[in-house]
Amino acid sequence: MTATITPYRSSQQTARDGFTQLVRSEWTKFRTVRGWVIAMCAAALLTALAPIELSATAQNHNSLDTVATGPAGDAVIDDFYFVHQPLTGNGSITVRVTSLHGVGPMPQLPSGFTPFPRTQPWAKAGLIVKASSRPGSPYAAMMVTGGHGVRMQYDFTHDTAGLAGAASVASPRWLRLTRSGDTLTGYASTDGTHWTEVGTADLAGLPSTVQAGLFAASPAYMQANQSFGGNNNGIGGGPSQAAAVLDHLRLTGSWPARSWTGGQIGGGEGGPASIIQSNGGKVTVQPGAPGPASPDHFRQAAGTFTVAGSGDIAPYEPVTDPLLVCFYGTLIGLIVVIALGAMFITAEFRRGLIRTTLAATPRRARVLAAKALVAGSVTFAAALVGAAVAFPIAQHMLNRNGWKAPYYQVIPLFSTTGLRIVLGTAGLLAVAAILALAAGAVLRRGAGAVTSVVALVVFPLILAVVLPLSPANWLMRLTPAAAFSVQQAVPQYSQVSHSCLPYNGCYPLAPWAGFGVMCLWALAALAGAMFLLRRRDV
Amino acid sequence: MNALHAEWTKLRTVPSTAWLLLTAVALTVGVSALTTSVVKCPASCTADTTKLSLTGIMLGQAAVATLAVLVMSGEYSSGMIRVSLAAVPRRTTMLAAKAAVVTGVVLVTGAVSVLGSVLIARLLLPDNGFAPISLWDGPTLRAAVGSVLYLALIALLGLGAASAFRDSAVAVTVVLGLLYIFPIIGNLILNAQWQHRIERWTPMNAGLAIQATKDLKALPIGPWPGLGVLALWVAAALLVGGLLLKLRDA
Repeated sequence: MTATITPYRSSQQTARDGFTQLVRSEWTKFRTVRGWVIAMCAAALLTALAPIELSATAQNHNSLDTVATGPAGDAVIDDFYFVHQPLTGNGSITVRVTSLHGVGPMPQLPSGFTPFPRTQPWAKAGLIVKASSRPGSPYAAMMVTGGHGVRMQYDFTHDTAGLAGAASVASPRWLRLTRSGDTLTGYASTDGTHWTEVGTADLAGLPSTVQAGLFAASPAYMQANQSFGGNNNGIGGGPSQAAAVLDHLRLTGSWPARSWTGGQIGGGEGGPASIIQSNGGKVTVQPGAPGPASPDHFRQAAGTFTVAGSGDIAPYEPVTDPLLVCFYGTLIGLIVVIALGAMFITAEFRRGLIRTTLAATPRRARVLAAKALVAGSVTFAAALVGAAVAFPIAQHMLNRNGWKAPYYQVIPLFSTTGLRIVLGTAGLLAVAAILALAAGAVLRRGAGAVTSVVALVVFPLILAVVLPLSPANWLMRLTPAAAFSVQQAVPQYSQVSHSCLPYNGCYPLAPWAGFGVMCLWALAALAGAMFLLRRRDV
Repeated sequence: MNALHAEWTKLRTVPSTAWLLLTAVALTVGVSALTTSVVKCPASCTADTTKLSLTGIMLGQAAVATLAVLVMSGEYSSGMIRVSLAAVPRRTTMLAAKAAVVTGVVLVTGAVSVLGSVLIARLLLPDNGFAPISLWDGPTLRAAVGSVLYLALIALLGLGAASAFRDSAVAVTVVLGLLYIFPIIGNLILNAQWQHRIERWTPMNAGLAIQATKDLKALPIGPWPGLGVLALWVAAALLVGGLLLKLRDA
């Protein structure tokens, strides 16, 4: 008789080893280390406090700019030379433009600034229909520009491209603006017979009698410069002037005045060419070359008009982005989460816990993915709280320190820009933590991982201030520091020549594109870390 | 003397030392060469070429600080510190021996980095329209020697921080945060008074004043007083680190 021996079977149920369990175990590892939890809370606190502290000490230097308040309540530049007469009810105005070019003296720039083109790319002249001659009032305009072809623009922020190329005697540009109720339609043509519609503008509440006619403007020469040693860091430039030659003027509708009046709208009347230098808190204005002698703004002879003007009709872009500058304070929290991200894995290597972890879950890539998920989400949550608290308070402080409407518009938290800045800041810190985690998995030493990630993410910001503008911009395109563009608060319009430095808000990449660069770095580092973790012994 | 010899042996036989020193030289010379090659005269003729040719120190110091931190923290993570303190029970002696050995090694590495940077700058500057720099020129020599001293002070700062914080990652974070955050905030802060204070009193801004050779009167702090400010930070770090080392159990 043979006895059958039953092999031993544990009465315990087999543990599930799905990804959820893995994430849960990593979360347990994080939350049970008291120092890490305290450090993460400190990171959230610093992310909130640093921007608030920076905004509380911020001084305002915007008194250098003259702006008007536009139809939407935001700051606008509305300085141009206007040759106008009233138009009552519906009607249209047509003109042919044969030339637009820069005139008058050029600003004398210190060494380091490259010479300006004679004609500003956004010098503009053509037809305009405006609610009144008050700066900032609603308008619609059809224009030729110095370097961007025919455009239709209205109410400062709207810009539509028409025919390309500059106006000349050989290749003139015909422009037409038609009013029908509150709607203005712009047309362009090369010969005066075949017309194409460029765009329409709906100016709600336009009065029955409006001012309409010809205009010319040329935005100030402005150039941002950065040189090594910071001797001429900042913005330099001065006013510019452009003159246009127009003929074949034809009016339809009711134009009761029957004669043209020329006049300057807003400021922007010549003035001495000045060099404005702003380097963070230091703003100096040096007098430049003497301004243009009182120019011949308007001449009318045998149906040919010459109109010359200075200034611009465009949204106002400040030289500094104060909220962005205050949000650089999140750097302190960033360095803390870099350390936490790195230690989340290097502590396991140091203590030998990694062997237990990998024995429990032999699929090593999944371990790293779970760690990245936990480190990323915890950092994201902590930084989100910090940034969301800092956002309204910092703006309140800026407001109190003189950053007021119309120069500075308070951005609501729940707006596209507000959410982008707050979520982007949280994302920036979270991705930095993941990058540090990956570096920790590759280097297996806490100190080395922290140093290399800080060198990659933070150091480019130092170099970007020191280097000349073009290499500085390349740094802000290629390194993970590009992601700081996600904190940009002041909108950048395509119809304005930007003249500010990267750290003042003029990043070479759009906000989310810059953030994407950092994500690519983190993904590449994670892929490298997974490869090495699978190949190497622990 | 025996303590010195022991520290030297420990430092010499750890593979990370050689790697970090090589990294420090490579980063210093590499970043210096890169920045020197992108700054050109018609655009930036007023540039301080000596300072320019030593830009790499700003990144090389990160590797130097890491090395100095590991000299102390490395012993805590491996438990070696208990053996070291059993052999050299006078803790200040051990710290002093570590400081001496690290300073010596960093001075040599710093000299190599600075000489390399200056030599490359001599080759690159004429092509970019600048006059070449020479170490026989008084201010340039002061900037070069001062940069080497700066690196040694950064190493001591790292050693002090590591004695206080023990964990290498924490100590490195504190040192790099202290070094790198102020220059960025100082450049951007919208308050001229605070900007001036940051430039005068923070370790990297003040310490690197030693590299300036142009417009010395316009500097927020002079070259040697600037290095002095950094030395005060280092003294404070070593004092706090030394005290904690003496008072705590290892």
